[in-house]
Amino acid sequence: MTQQDWMKDAPHPIQSVLVANRGEIACRVLRACNEMGLESIAIRSDADYGALHTEVADSVVHLEGETLADTYLNIDAILAAARSSGADAIHPGYGFLSERAAFARAVQEAGLIWIGPPAEAIESMGDKVTARRRMMDAGVPVIPGQEIIDSDDEDRLIDALVAAATEVDYPLLLKASAGGGGKGMRAVHEPKYLQQEFLAARREAQTAFGDGTVYIERLLDGSRHIEVQILADLHGSTVHLFERECSIQRRHQKVVEEAPSPVLDESTRLAMGDAAVAAAAAVDYAGAGTVEFLLAPNGSFYFLEMNTRLQVEHPVTECITGVDLVEQQIRVASGLPLPFTQEDLTIRGHAIEVRIYAEDPSQGFLPATGPLAVFRPPEGPGIRLDTGVREGDVARIDFDPMLAKLIVHGSDRDHATRRMKSALSEFVILGATTNIGFLSDVIAHPAYRAGETDTGFIQRHYPKDWVAPAPSDVLLLIAAASEHLGIHRKSVGLTAVNDTGRTTPNDPFQRLDRRYP
Amino acid sequence: MVDLKMQDGRIVSVSVGGDPLSIVKILEDGEQITPIPGNVRVDSRPSRILIERDGVESIVHCARVGDRWWVHLDGYVHVVDVIEPGAANASDADGAFTAPMPGKVLDVLVPEGARVREGQDLMVLEAMKMEHRIAADRDGTVSSIYFQTGDQVDAGSVLLDFVEDE
Repeated sequence: MTQQDWMKDAPHPIQSVLVANRGEIACRVLRACNEMGLESIAIRSDADYGALHTEVADSVVHLEGETLADTYLNIDAILAAARSSGADAIHPGYGFLSERAAFARAVQEAGLIWIGPPAEAIESMGDKVTARRRMMDAGVPVIPGQEIIDSDDEDRLIDALVAAATEVDYPLLLKASAGGGGKGMRAVHEPKYLQQEFLAARREAQTAFGDGTVYIERLLDGSRHIEVQILADLHGSTVHLFERECSIQRRHQKVVEEAPSPVLDESTRLAMGDAAVAAAAAVDYAGAGTVEFLLAPNGSFYFLEMNTRLQVEHPVTECITGVDLVEQQIRVASGLPLPFTQEDLTIRGHAIEVRIYAEDPSQGFLPATGPLAVFRPPEGPGIRLDTGVREGDVARIDFDPMLAKLIVHGSDRDHATRRMKSALSEFVILGATTNIGFLSDVIAHPAYRAGETDTGFIQRHYPKDWVAPAPSDVLLLIAAASEHLGIHRKSVGLTAVNDTGRTTPNDPFQRLDRRYP
Repeated sequence: MVDLKMQDGRIVSVSVGGDPLSIVKILEDGEQITPIPGNVRVDSRPSRILIERDGVESIVHCARVGDRWWVHLDGYVHVVDVIEPGAANASDADGAFTAPMPGKVLDVLVPEGARVREGQDLMVLEAMKMEHRIAADRDGTVSSIYFQTGDQVDAGSVLLDFVEDE
């Protein structure tokens, strides 16, 4: 493969990239490689035979095994795959090994280019206590909090806990020091619940991360989760690409994200951007990263954590800035300087992303499974879909239940909101239950339209399960007529799926098709 | 006539006919109820029908998975279950056996083409750590088998085809 023009001045040229991930993010990164003229290499487990990301890649390496430990979390197997496929760089995507400093080091020790931040930056930011100390030193505001180092001496542990809780002050949030993703997180509003919640958080931390150390911090009720995207190159230049608001969450899982934030004024935006750049510079960051802040109702903001990887919600930033973050990650890894300065960056319009999950919002948001018998995403100006599935695939329980991210870009927030509402109404997924109807109602909610999107939104407006619109009797006509017409025997477009060879041997639809020739 | 079960638990028997299709007969608890206005035509693309209500046409996506019709109507997805005659056992009216729940095939007990007797076990599934036996509900022949031991199946997947003895 010939070297691309854009890379002719790069100190560490890249020709082929192995993407150590699956699903939508693997597709996203592999496509970026294809666009940049790089050879794209996917990996897959047994279960991912025929998965979309393997189709997007130029070539695929099969990692034997069904468990994550055997495949997407297997550093040795991934490095072997890079060797056998001739890859000279590895992109980790998000999740899996993306924030393991050991992986970043192993990749570099194997003589490969790591498309991610330096291992030391991952380490500093991965440990909440170190990160906090570094941020305080760099003058970045932090939330009052303390760490309770795990110990077998429960009496001393409880004494330390009570002392820390008194100093930090109620209400409190307990979280696993080593953690993330909502695991081991518990809110404590009164001292009498402190001990029992602490012991539960410690157990969860131990089970999930093998380390029972719990971090205790002030819970800022009614606050907003706002994060700032940064990009840094290897030549000391760091810029921020403004903020994303990710306040609509359910059990600490983000559901709706948007950029810019509907509430941030220009001076806070600038201050937050500067703080994010200072945070990144303090750990000698390189590549794409995200600095998360809590914005309290009184307008002050605090450093929460830094995610040393590409975020799920990165597309909204790409929409409003016009910067392709994955392209920049790859350019930075090749040693090229950022092609723009802070002054070059501006916000254009408004973007919203929703996460489409295979789950049942009317049944406690339980994960749902089933064949994607019909999967017809919306189309039109300003609509982007990032997904790892297509019609004929099956929503399974093995991985994250996220099926797709639907992103819209409009001229302003109101325009983007109306575009999202309309796009969600057009999105047809049949065969597996999804949260599309719920998302559609959230987007249309007067409180959302008014920008009242703090982290308590879902709890406040949907305290019980979401209730789907009542079924209309016209469904009886539709079902009876479809049955009569034999719509299901017309093999619902699945013949087309077979023609392109996309289905797997175990795909029940291939069999359905045989049944209805 | 097809027996349909709505999400709210109502069971309604519906018969359609004519061109375009409209309701010919509709019974709830054995009583005739007011027919639903509107008529339906087949659409040129798969998984869609064309419905006309009050002189306005719209396209509705629908797909049957197992015994369930999934319908995308006015921006929301609804489901309507088909109650097949003899739905108490695992076989459907076409003589195919479907998986009652998602799970794993533990064992296939007969080869393709096997003549089997009523009550004979054909396949063993495992779901939620419980075994579930798929048994013939009539004398007949297993014409096709679609899964092997170890395969994962989804609820509604066709496991095997069955031809009843004349």
